[in-house]
Amino acid sequence: MRSIVGEIVSGAKEVTVMDMEASIEHMSRGTVKHADVMLVVLEPYYRSLETAGRIVPLARGLGIQRIYGIANKLRSPQDDEAVRTYCGNHDLELIAAIPYDENVVEADRTGRAVIDYDVTSAIVQELTVVAERLGREISAEGNGVGGKPNV
Amino acid sequence: MKIAVCGKGGSGKTTISATLTRLLARRGLPVLAIDGDPNPNLVQALGLGPGVEIESVPRSVVERREDENGASHMFLKQPVAEIVSQYGVKAPDGVTVLVGTRVDHPGAG
Repeated sequence: MRSIVGEIVSGAKEVTVMDMEASIEHMSRGTVKHADVMLVVLEPYYRSLETAGRIVPLARGLGIQRIYGIANKLRSPQDDEAVRTYCGNHDLELIAAIPYDENVVEADRTGRAVIDYDVTSAIVQELTVVAERLGREISAEGNGVGGKPNV
Repeated sequence: MKIAVCGKGGSGKTTISATLTRLLARRGLPVLAIDGDPNPNLVQALGLGPGVEIESVPRSVVERREDENGASHMFLKQPVAEIVSQYGVKAPDGVTVLVGTRVDHPGAG
């Protein structure tokens, strides 16, 4: 099973970040199978966690070793707790917990990237930690930008 | 490293993809961002500004060929680097962004 994006990702020399289709039903396995790392965005709501509950086993089934959770739009300690409990119960490592960030809305309203709108935004700060970690993992892979061998 | 960002629609997946892409690029890494969502807004989230339209990679970059076992597969007709330079657009921090083909055929190949 192949997809155009999958073939491009497979052969790309760069670090690639794929913003995947929202619906798990339509998520192309031919694309996802090339991922070294899957980041699953979790909102502290039942339907978001339920979606994650279907994505994660699929990704594991495709042999993706590194699957990390990123909690987003947390508005309270209860939200934080809900996501942490979910991840604990599902053996999913949570690598960032991003609070609800009004800067995202404002940046979007003015047609700007949030990193350009306000680099001190909570979302940028949290994702800086993720980028540092992935940067270390890329270095540890030892072959430049790293990644699965091209097939 | 190939990173896939997944989640429910409206979860902030695109904002997270774009911001992480920019941050990886600021660490000096060459980064290719790929919009695989049929509702494309990664381009704006990366900071290219409203109204910037990017041609998506057309289906004509692939063809079907048989492999050595006679099974039919999708193959790229040109090197990936060529597709990236032809259809990729430069975004801030040296990021390159590609908009994926809108219709995938998951059952094919």
